[in-house]
Amino acid sequence: MLLAIISSCATEKSLPPPNDPHKPYNYSARNGMVVAAHPLAAQAGLDVLQHGGNAIDAAVATALALNAAEPFASGIGGGGFMVIYLAESKKTTVINYREKAPAAASADMFLENGEVNNTWRRNHGLAVAVPGALAGWTHALNKYGTWKLAEVIQGAIRIAEEGFIVSKTFSKINKDEYEKLLLIGGEASCYLNDGFPYEQGDTFRNPDLAAFFVRLAEKGMDDFYRGDTAQKIAAAIQAKRGVLTTEDLAEYRVIEHPPLTGSYKDFKLFTTPPPSCGGLFIQQLLNIIENWPVKDWGHNSASYIHHFSEALRIVFADKARYLGDPDFVSVPIKYLISKTYAADIAALIQPDRPLSDYPYGEFDELADRKENTTHLCVIDKAGNIVSLTQSINMFFGTGIVPENTGFILNNHMADFSPDPESPNAPGPGKRPVSNMGPLILFHQGKPLLALGSPGGTRIFSSLTQIIINIAEFGMSLDEAIEAPRFFSYSSQGRARNLSVEARIPPDIITALENMGQKITIREDYDKYFGGAQGIMIPAGKKVIFGGADSRRDGQGAGY
Amino acid sequence: MKKTAIIYCLMFLIPGIGIGNPEAIEPVFEQPILLTSAGQNAEVQLVSVLAKRAGLTFTLSKLATAAELADKKTLVLSIGASMKGLGAAGLDVKQEKTRITDLVKAAQDKKIPIFCLHLGGEARRGQLTDELITLLIPLSQAVIVVNSGNQDGIFTRLCEEYNIPLVGVNRVVDALKPIKDAFK
Repeated sequence: MLLAIISSCATEKSLPPPNDPHKPYNYSARNGMVVAAHPLAAQAGLDVLQHGGNAIDAAVATALALNAAEPFASGIGGGGFMVIYLAESKKTTVINYREKAPAAASADMFLENGEVNNTWRRNHGLAVAVPGALAGWTHALNKYGTWKLAEVIQGAIRIAEEGFIVSKTFSKINKDEYEKLLLIGGEASCYLNDGFPYEQGDTFRNPDLAAFFVRLAEKGMDDFYRGDTAQKIAAAIQAKRGVLTTEDLAEYRVIEHPPLTGSYKDFKLFTTPPPSCGGLFIQQLLNIIENWPVKDWGHNSASYIHHFSEALRIVFADKARYLGDPDFVSVPIKYLISKTYAADIAALIQPDRPLSDYPYGEFDELADRKENTTHLCVIDKAGNIVSLTQSINMFFGTGIVPENTGFILNNHMADFSPDPESPNAPGPGKRPVSNMGPLILFHQGKPLLALGSPGGTRIFSSLTQIIINIAEFGMSLDEAIEAPRFFSYSSQGRARNLSVEARIPPDIITALENMGQKITIREDYDKYFGGAQGIMIPAGKKVIFGGADSRRDGQGAGY
Repeated sequence: MKKTAIIYCLMFLIPGIGIGNPEAIEPVFEQPILLTSAGQNAEVQLVSVLAKRAGLTFTLSKLATAAELADKKTLVLSIGASMKGLGAAGLDVKQEKTRITDLVKAAQDKKIPIFCLHLGGEARRGQLTDELITLLIPLSQAVIVVNSGNQDGIFTRLCEEYNIPLVGVNRVVDALKPIKDAFK
């Protein structure tokens, strides 16, 4: 199996990327590589690697640079998860810098006269959870890095100061979120161009963010959580009727814990445990798929898509039933990722029709429209690896920008269930369940693949498809990333539509419809399905391959 | 046939409307304005900011109904279907089409002219948007489009066919002057 993977990658040549961004292209390098959702961010990380920084230094530099270059998806006003592999000790660890609910949060905080108020959950001061990004990055640097925050932040400052040409992706998202930016920040918002959205080809600069990053380099993390910036954050949130205080910021703590581990055939998976559920459900899906002859069925065959979509619907039912912050509720992780439970699910799925019932699911269909978040991967010369996913939740988060800081505050409180009875209901200090699932896949004890993606609830579906594309269908990394995707879910016990990219052939669509699947056809390359980034390290080869998703502005940079 | 008859009637009933210079819109529209989107697109907010900067008197109502036309003299439609917007408004495609059809019919009954804008460019095209364009452009008295949304010439074709003044702009902000010019 692995031979096929190695040979398919080994045929790639170090040619420049093709003009057609959708044409599969594996970046290659020998010493180190960064893949990220914006070329300037990838370059900022590479600069650190080439000047002696390790993978952790470069990952934090890239994460900060993304705040400047892809500000709508992640940043210092949000949070995330980092999976780190340390080559020398062969240790894998997880840094959880997910945001936390403020102390004044309560289970029914999003109910108004008994009805859910979605504006409060998304575009309001109440939607902001305590940001964890800076604490996470600083923890990683202090414990595993070799550079200081003031050094790794320089690339981000440069991008914010000098600006960059706005891409089609940036412009479209800016237009889509215009109403929020206008209503929250007014026509003077630093994310609008004289009151209007940025057009493709415009230059976007963020002098406020550049100046804020310069101050951060001088003053360090304490200013953000306990100093002037903390005051500005709390004031901005309270001005929009939120309840987050400076005390909440001062109380924020990062968690470091062992990874969640599992396997698929002879591959071993290391990923993030709850409250990030992406990794958990990737493993559950892989366990279920292990029971089926997917290679015989063929890539994106009707049988494959049907069985996979049914597995997803059961996974969504489990998500609604069990998932919450493990510091507050008991999550049956071992049960959910056991091979026995997966075999039971596989046996339950009918080969020719959807099930009539998927118990317990109560899915937020509006939240399902999220396409947000970002992922980056880094490998250094020593073989250290970082797989990092971070977010401010929905594109442009709440749209709230603390005075003169240029960064956007998250709306991750929307990731809590508004149902006060849910295990994922809001509560003081709780972390909302996340769909993120940064991972590192090992083969024969050695890291083979670092991978992750944005895409809200599609994250674990898309990442599992990429892993299966590589492991079963022999695709190269970027072929696996660019291949047509699909997604399904269940809600309140009922199957919901199967969404497919328009590149899935009509005869497959017809076959799926004949099985009783209701199909939603989306764009050819639809960022609804995420924007994955990955690095592959084929065993015995002196070359590293990178894959970056053309559904967003992903790019690799190596040396 | 019925639709064509209504259009010809409107052309005669509203002076100065219907046949014009394709590069400019004559000042034929009056205030106050009822502004809504056809398809629950985000661009309706762009039109709102442009109208504000043009100094126009308008009411923005995302779910506007015929009753809201009572004291209005122009109906401005921001055309473009957004699944996200429809979901947020709690509408399906059929409900939105019914709302717009009823609103346009009421405007025609009251002899209120319709001014259509498509500011979403290429990204705001697609099957559902095209259905709205085909439905609404022939019923309008002037059209402004961001050119990237007219690369296939759909607006040009329809406006030529129905003798409707059309102004193409490269950027959203460029729509400010023709909007200003279009009102008395």
